[in-house]
Amino acid sequence: MTMTDTALSEELASRRDMIECVGVKKWFGDFQALGGIDLTVKEQEVMVVLGPSGSGKSTLIRCINRLEVHQEGTIVVDGIELTNDLRNIDKIRSEVGMVFQQFNLFPHLTVIDNITLAPIWVRKKSKVEALRVARELLERVGIPEQAEKFPGQLSGGQQQRVAIARSLAMEPNIMLFDEPTSALDPEMISEVLDVMKGLAESGMTMVVVTHEMGFAREVADRLVFMEDGMVVEINNPEDFFTNPKSERTQLFLSQIL
Amino acid sequence: MTDSINTAPATDNLDALIAANAPPEIPTHGAVDWMKKNLFSSISTTVQTFLFITLLVLILRWLLGLIFDPEASWDSVATNMRLLFTYNYPADQFIRIWFTVGALLTAVGLTIAAWGVDPKLSVKKLGGNLVGVGALIAIMGIIAPASSTIKTGMIVVGVLIAVLGYGISRVLGEQKISFFPFLLVVAGFWLAVLWLVPFGRNEFIDGAVSNLPGTINPSTKIPWTILILLFLGSVLAGRALVTVIKPQALRLTMIAWWVVGPAFLIFLVLRDPQFDYDKVLRTDVPWALGFAIIGGAILYWLAKPGVGEIGRLFAASATLFALFNWVAAFAGWYSMLQKVRLSFLVFALFALAAPTFAGERSVRLKFVYAWVGTVAIGHWLITGINTVSTLDIAAPPFLGGFTLSMVIAYYVMLASFPLGIILALARTSKLPIFRLLSTLYIEFVRGVPLITILFFFSIMVNLFLPGGMELAELAAIFLGYALFSAAYMAENVRGGLQSIRVGQYEASDALGLTTSQRTIFIVLPQALRVTIPNLVGQAIGTFKETSLIAIVGGFDLLNVAKQSIPNQPDFLGQNKPALLFICAIYWAGSYSMSRASRNLETKLGVGTR
Repeated sequence: MTMTDTALSEELASRRDMIECVGVKKWFGDFQALGGIDLTVKEQEVMVVLGPSGSGKSTLIRCINRLEVHQEGTIVVDGIELTNDLRNIDKIRSEVGMVFQQFNLFPHLTVIDNITLAPIWVRKKSKVEALRVARELLERVGIPEQAEKFPGQLSGGQQQRVAIARSLAMEPNIMLFDEPTSALDPEMISEVLDVMKGLAESGMTMVVVTHEMGFAREVADRLVFMEDGMVVEINNPEDFFTNPKSERTQLFLSQIL
Repeated sequence: MTDSINTAPATDNLDALIAANAPPEIPTHGAVDWMKKNLFSSISTTVQTFLFITLLVLILRWLLGLIFDPEASWDSVATNMRLLFTYNYPADQFIRIWFTVGALLTAVGLTIAAWGVDPKLSVKKLGGNLVGVGALIAIMGIIAPASSTIKTGMIVVGVLIAVLGYGISRVLGEQKISFFPFLLVVAGFWLAVLWLVPFGRNEFIDGAVSNLPGTINPSTKIPWTILILLFLGSVLAGRALVTVIKPQALRLTMIAWWVVGPAFLIFLVLRDPQFDYDKVLRTDVPWALGFAIIGGAILYWLAKPGVGEIGRLFAASATLFALFNWVAAFAGWYSMLQKVRLSFLVFALFALAAPTFAGERSVRLKFVYAWVGTVAIGHWLITGINTVSTLDIAAPPFLGGFTLSMVIAYYVMLASFPLGIILALARTSKLPIFRLLSTLYIEFVRGVPLITILFFFSIMVNLFLPGGMELAELAAIFLGYALFSAAYMAENVRGGLQSIRVGQYEASDALGLTTSQRTIFIVLPQALRVTIPNLVGQAIGTFKETSLIAIVGGFDLLNVAKQSIPNQPDFLGQNKPALLFICAIYWAGSYSMSRASRNLETKLGVGTR
């Protein structure tokens, strides 16, 4: 916990905890994916998680909305602890949006149906209201003209923006991004990152797993560096890139920058 | 212009540039070239070609030998058409059969219009097909072991068709013909066959075979003429309708019709709707109204978003009660109308599904409408089926032949479809008890031959049923076959379920969809689309295997050909012609289904990814 505290600015520290992980451990068979993660994400904070592949970044954020089940430790999301109680899981999932590396849009539904499905059936919104919100969101991610198309007819960048709009339609308090730009062609990455920047500016609490260093530096409030299922360093972007505390972080940065 | 194309040869002549970059023209080959390349390219291929042509000719000659066998009396088929298609359905009531066929053809026409089926057919290809057909007829004429008149006739007809096909493809070569004119041509052809070709007029008159020369019996050709015109008219009417109402609305109507409509038609064919109105008013209507109104109100309440635990508890107890009614029926504790038992069961299913379809007022009302519709149709059908037939029936199994085969095949497919989906979902479920039960069921049924199951249901099930419950033979066959087919259907659907990527499940979970919502909105639509080719394969199998009904004593197409016709005094021992004829019917049915599925596959592949 001490590492977390040093990276927290006073302003951040005063805010409410949105996600609180204490001693989270997770095994896949014999392989330990998470080796005791302590992490706190504050309200309206943008936290970027970095690290080499296989370091447990994705597993960590997938534990936060229980796509993976952690075996030890506690995760508290917006005051609700993640247990096996189904009602808690449903509640957390409807408050936590998630964007995947492979978009995972529903290929048999049009863009607008992709976005309105969950608000209508999970949030029990009226169809008119759901459609109105969906069109607003498509406007916000910059593709209002694609509403009636099927996902297969869109470019990768457009699909990922639809996926973001689909998550936002549930009006989540927290957004999780699992390498949102890793499956995209280079020229499409910026269009997705721009949407994410806009989202960060609007005050959304975000946890982003990414390899986009420019984005991390510009948008993140704090950076987390993970390796072998452990948090190696938590730091503010300035210090992380110019004056990293850990040697391992220095090595990582020297490899990718 | 030239600046932008740096690598192209420097020239100001745009035409030359385009010509230089055009793909090479594909040289067109004549028939001789094709044969040289594909049939006689080397000595060994030449030998093989001759070998297999000889073999083909021999097989064809053998087959033609069966057809032109002087011993074979084709009158046995021509005279018994009515028996083959409807068994001994009373002749004076035949208007019901014609009405049914008319309703089905109208529905096909409307369906074609609703889905905008309008393929552009290449005239060249059609002409080519005609040349092929003509050539085949001519070749058959040459090798057929028949009288020289027939041989000459076949050769002349074959050559005429081939010349016609060649002429069409030469004159109209590159044109495309749209669907309706094509239908008109096909319809015209069949009308010409009906009214011009001298098949002879075969029928039984007072039990004696009458065989007059001329075209076929007016009692056949007049209804068919009307039906063909009706079909063409329904396509046109459907197209006009789609311009007025939304195609989507017509599609939904047609889907609903295809699920419910045939049941109404069976009712029309088998029963005379002379209701016992007193009983209808005293018991049938009150029960139906009660279920519709009280059940609807309860479901409206259950589908409220905030009902929560009480709702679940209520649905669970309704399910227990519905199941208990069946236990009580077997144990004989109290009596209850079968219809009421069934209604409670369906109501329990609706109650269980209520939280999934919870939502605002309009959504809930839709859910209640679905319930009321189910009650109305279900109770009407059961009332109809329970009504005693007032038809004057000549012999107990009075509907059979092709109609019986079709009815069984259609309803087995329709019933095994939802059952198969449920089994497949249970088998892939996370709950071990469902998985175990479903796996046991599927593996058990797949390990038992269909004929065993049919015997079991047609003979033994009635022995186990409690007093007062009885299963008619047809219903028993249908039930056994549907349960058998469901196991295979489940395996097909499971294949589709496995093709869904894990990301789809994760995305649905991340959005907070419940398991049943995920299954209904995300998983099944994608899985079933993948499953369609297999489903059609199964439909073909189901259609052909209805011939097993013959073995348990049903008078289907096979039994009529194998038992009834050879036992008629006029056609003693004549089974070959009828068997060949039903082969042709089965082949035509199966082949058209397989063609339809191929078209559907290409269409689905193009529409979405």
